[in-house]
Amino acid sequence: MGISSFALLLRVAEEAAEGPASPFEVNFGLFFWTWLVFLILLWVLAKFALPAIVKTTEERERTIRGQLDDAERLHAEAKTAHADAQQAAADARASAQTLLADARAASEKERTAAVEKLRQEQDAMLDRARRDIVDEKERAVAALRREAVDLALAAAGKLIEQRLDADADRKLVSEYLEQLEVTR
Amino acid sequence: MMQGPDIGEVVLHHTADAYAIGIEPFFEWHWERWPDIHIGSLVINLTPTKHVFFLVLAAALVFFTMRLTGRALAKQKAGSRAPRGLANLMEAFVLFVRNDVAIANIGANGARFAPLVIALFFFILYANLLGLLPHGSTATGNLAVTGALALLVFGVVEISGIMTLGFKGYLRTIFPKIPGMTGVGATMMTLAMGPIEILGKLVKPFALAVRLFGNMTAGHFVVLSLFGIIFLFGNLGIWSWAIGITTMLLVVGIMLLELFVAFLQAYVFALLTAVFIGLMQHEH
Repeated sequence: MGISSFALLLRVAEEAAEGPASPFEVNFGLFFWTWLVFLILLWVLAKFALPAIVKTTEERERTIRGQLDDAERLHAEAKTAHADAQQAAADARASAQTLLADARAASEKERTAAVEKLRQEQDAMLDRARRDIVDEKERAVAALRREAVDLALAAAGKLIEQRLDADADRKLVSEYLEQLEVTR
Repeated sequence: MMQGPDIGEVVLHHTADAYAIGIEPFFEWHWERWPDIHIGSLVINLTPTKHVFFLVLAAALVFFTMRLTGRALAKQKAGSRAPRGLANLMEAFVLFVRNDVAIANIGANGARFAPLVIALFFFILYANLLGLLPHGSTATGNLAVTGALALLVFGVVEISGIMTLGFKGYLRTIFPKIPGMTGVGATMMTLAMGPIEILGKLVKPFALAVRLFGNMTAGHFVVLSLFGIIFLFGNLGIWSWAIGITTMLLVVGIMLLELFVAFLQAYVFALLTAVFIGLMQHEH
């Protein structure tokens, strides 16, 4: 079988080499027809068909490039806007911090001032109280002294059974008491 | 063994050109061969053949596809959004050939040569695909057709070379300066390079022509030969079924491969055209 197919191939080759139907036979007339058909095709394609295809695709390329550029521009704008917003937020945060700090400082000052005022008031009250106490004491001492003089005079009057001149006696006793106070 | 048809004859008949078209066995239309024209020793016969018919069909289909694509793109307002459907597919093909094959390989002048490369790609692709249809015929499996296309590319490459580099610059591509040599040796070396460079120029279109022709013809030979197996061994009783099924599977596989090759060879032809033009444009 191998031999028979080989023989077949040989016969094909032989016929190809010598027969009229050889695939290697060149019909020069076909050169003319091929050129004619191809050149007409090339001409009509270049004139009527390809420009439309190339035009629309180039147009689309332009559109897409434009859209890409737009997208890039928008992206850049969005980026700037985002940065601006971030900056604004940072600024706001910073100013809020400042305000808060200011408020804190102001309230601290206020508090200190209030405490200081309170202390001054307390001091003043204490002073006044102290002064009052001293006054009161002096007044009490004076009253006591007067009472003592009166008592002494009464006792002395009783003792001598004689009413002495009030003012002169009073002066006498007072002088005596001051003398006592000095000697003591 | 059953006396089957002459398979070699069948194979050659199916791949060969003819002065007839038709859908066998329903109808066939023959026409007369025109008289030969003699130009010197060259015999030229301008009778249109089956392959000419398929070339015209391929060209018409390419034009209509492109025209429809252009219209669909305009109708879909594809200037501002993505196209849909067939227009999208064809546009992707056209742009691929234009940008990644023509402009990428030719460079700054690429846009000027893009229509040529696109036309070559689609023309060859459609001619290849028409050959895969039942009753179709592969015009690109004809050495004259591929030779004509390759010669055209050769002309474009060389003429574009003269136009870009100037006549003196173009002559340098045949008689190059030998780097690192001076004096008589350099001149002799430059002159000696001439025939080699000319041969190099001629080999490129020759390779283009033979590659396309070979790929297109070989696939059909393989498919037809596989069918031939059925006729050779179709009388083995129960085994004939196995042979039929095996052959069918093999043929389906080869046809899928052929489909791929149809695209690949169109791409290769277009790519090499762009590369050759690009090489010439950037020659120093």
